[in-house]
Amino acid sequence: MRSWRTSAAYRIAFANFIAFALGLALLGVVVFAVMHIDFSRQIDAMMTDEVETLTDEYRVGGQQNLADAIAEREASGSPTRMLYGVFTPDGRRILGALQANRPPLGMHDIAFVDPNEGPDTARALAVDLSPSERLVVAADREWIERIDDTVVGVFGAAFIVACLLALAGAGILGSYLQQRLRSISRSAEAIIAGDIRERMPVSARRDEFDQLAITLNRMLDRIEGLLENLRQVSSDVAHDLRTPLARLRTRLEQGVRQNEGENGVLEDAIVQVDEVLSLFAAILRISEVESGQPRRFFAAVDVSALVTDLGESYAPAVHDGGRELFWSVEPGLVAEGDRELLAQAVVNLIENAQSHTPKGTIIRLTAVLADGLLLVQVADNGPGVPNADLHRVVRRFARLESSRNTSGYGLGLNLVSAVAALHGGRLILKNAAPGLTATIELPGTRVRKLPAAESPRRDKETVH
Amino acid sequence: MRILVAEDDRETGEFIRQGLDELGHNPLVVESGADALHVLSTEDFDIAILDRMLPGTDGLTIVRRIRAADIDVPVLILTALGRIQDRVDGLEAGADDYLVKPFAFSELAARVNALGRRKPMQTEATRLEHGSIVMDLLKRQVLRDGKAVLLQPREFRLLEELLREGGKVVTRTMLLERVWNYHFDPQTNIVETHISRLRSKLNEGSRPDVIETVRGIGYRMADNA
Repeated sequence: MRSWRTSAAYRIAFANFIAFALGLALLGVVVFAVMHIDFSRQIDAMMTDEVETLTDEYRVGGQQNLADAIAEREASGSPTRMLYGVFTPDGRRILGALQANRPPLGMHDIAFVDPNEGPDTARALAVDLSPSERLVVAADREWIERIDDTVVGVFGAAFIVACLLALAGAGILGSYLQQRLRSISRSAEAIIAGDIRERMPVSARRDEFDQLAITLNRMLDRIEGLLENLRQVSSDVAHDLRTPLARLRTRLEQGVRQNEGENGVLEDAIVQVDEVLSLFAAILRISEVESGQPRRFFAAVDVSALVTDLGESYAPAVHDGGRELFWSVEPGLVAEGDRELLAQAVVNLIENAQSHTPKGTIIRLTAVLADGLLLVQVADNGPGVPNADLHRVVRRFARLESSRNTSGYGLGLNLVSAVAALHGGRLILKNAAPGLTATIELPGTRVRKLPAAESPRRDKETVH
Repeated sequence: MRILVAEDDRETGEFIRQGLDELGHNPLVVESGADALHVLSTEDFDIAILDRMLPGTDGLTIVRRIRAADIDVPVLILTALGRIQDRVDGLEAGADDYLVKPFAFSELAARVNALGRRKPMQTEATRLEHGSIVMDLLKRQVLRDGKAVLLQPREFRLLEELLREGGKVVTRTMLLERVWNYHFDPQTNIVETHISRLRSKLNEGSRPDVIETVRGIGYRMADNA
């Protein structure tokens, strides 16, 4: 699982979320400002109306009428009530409850003393009713501040809820994108592992991921076709060259038969021809395996018996070559496959371990079942393969600089890898430091419990 | 032995004819499937060597036809293709042996000898003898000069194959096929290793060697064993 830090899907989803959150916040600020300004204007308009109404009261009924109107308003107790005051030019308040200094004419913010809450600010509109009477109508800002607080509170809560929803949405989007991409990546991994016939999954939605998968699948079809051509060509070349070589071999053998006596040169030539023929046979065998045709002859293979047999057959030869082969095989291991090809693959691994290690090397052959996978392993404690070359040695005709002097054409591991892929498995090469560990990993099962087979102890061996 | 060779490549046909002739056999070479089918149904042969790809009727079809007609002549199929499928097909069709071209003539000769002796062996022997060696197949026991020799299963099987051929050459490839059931050619000569262990067990006490190595070809029971 990739962490969200390195995931483009999550990055895109979170960038989206941040853009959304910023947009929402900006919207909030604008709404707040517009509301705030609008309410302020409404208050101003209300104060202007109030001043006009009171001025009319004063004109109709004089100071007494005004005093009644102010007293009535101040007694109403409405939350949106205003504060009133009539001041003389020397600053004395003669009507109303507004505890403030005489404000100048027009609209101003003034300081006043709230009888309940102490000093506060208010917006005030002042007009002169007569040279000695200045009417002041003031609105406590507390009212608009309460509205502001409510707006901020409601909007803040909405913002948090929206952000949480958006965050969850981003998470879901990120994981969805990752999941779609991962299914493509999984198919690609299967192809890398060797099954070129694997294709990307295409859903019925036909969205852009499906379009991508369809394009990739077309590309894979093309690659598979090209590979098939290449396999066909190399197989045709090897096959066509066999016929003249076969004739040549026949002629050489006839020559040997006719020449009584000294035939060293001819016999050497036959050995050389045979070597080329066996090289072609190996190429043809690999292309046969890669074509997948041998799957038609798959049957249940007793891998335990097969590997035990190989251990018993090769231990003496490896011993004679100055190395030791020990084997240990779990009982009852069975795989669906081709016995000959599996045998040849394991033989190649043993021979590889034998020809690229110094005398005294210990080679261990094991067969176990782990997590539903059958592992046939050949491990040596020789010099191993440089890590940088591990992926190279599996290639056809791959030869390392260090093995220039040993025999072979670099087809051994290529065949092993092809056989493993044919069986739906793979060849894994690892530096065990010291030595190389080659593992054939196959789908397999264990069918019955039998005593495990192991190489006999040296002291029990009858031949020395 | 009277041997039918069906081979469309004239050079290969002549190579086989000449070789069999030199060994004292009586070969007849035909170049088409129809001819092969015709002579097989009208004349008696000890062995038929059929090329898999013949003009007209191919080798596999010939085997199927003669088997259907109850002609039980031992058949050796020659093929230029060494595919897994070809061996399976050949044996399924009813062929007795199978050889990939090109081959060393000695390989063909050894297989012809083995096929020719197959008939009297039909009555399964329980006891094989060669000179001082006696093998009891039921008791899984081997005696040399009356003294038991302890062999491992694979060594026992190798000796059995050599004894069955009664002093004729058994090639390395034949032993790999019969004892190990491997139809590929490993680089390591495991046959040689196991023969040498078998040999040292049989010859313990510096007695004369009972197994003779035929250089570059295979092994056989020694005449003086």
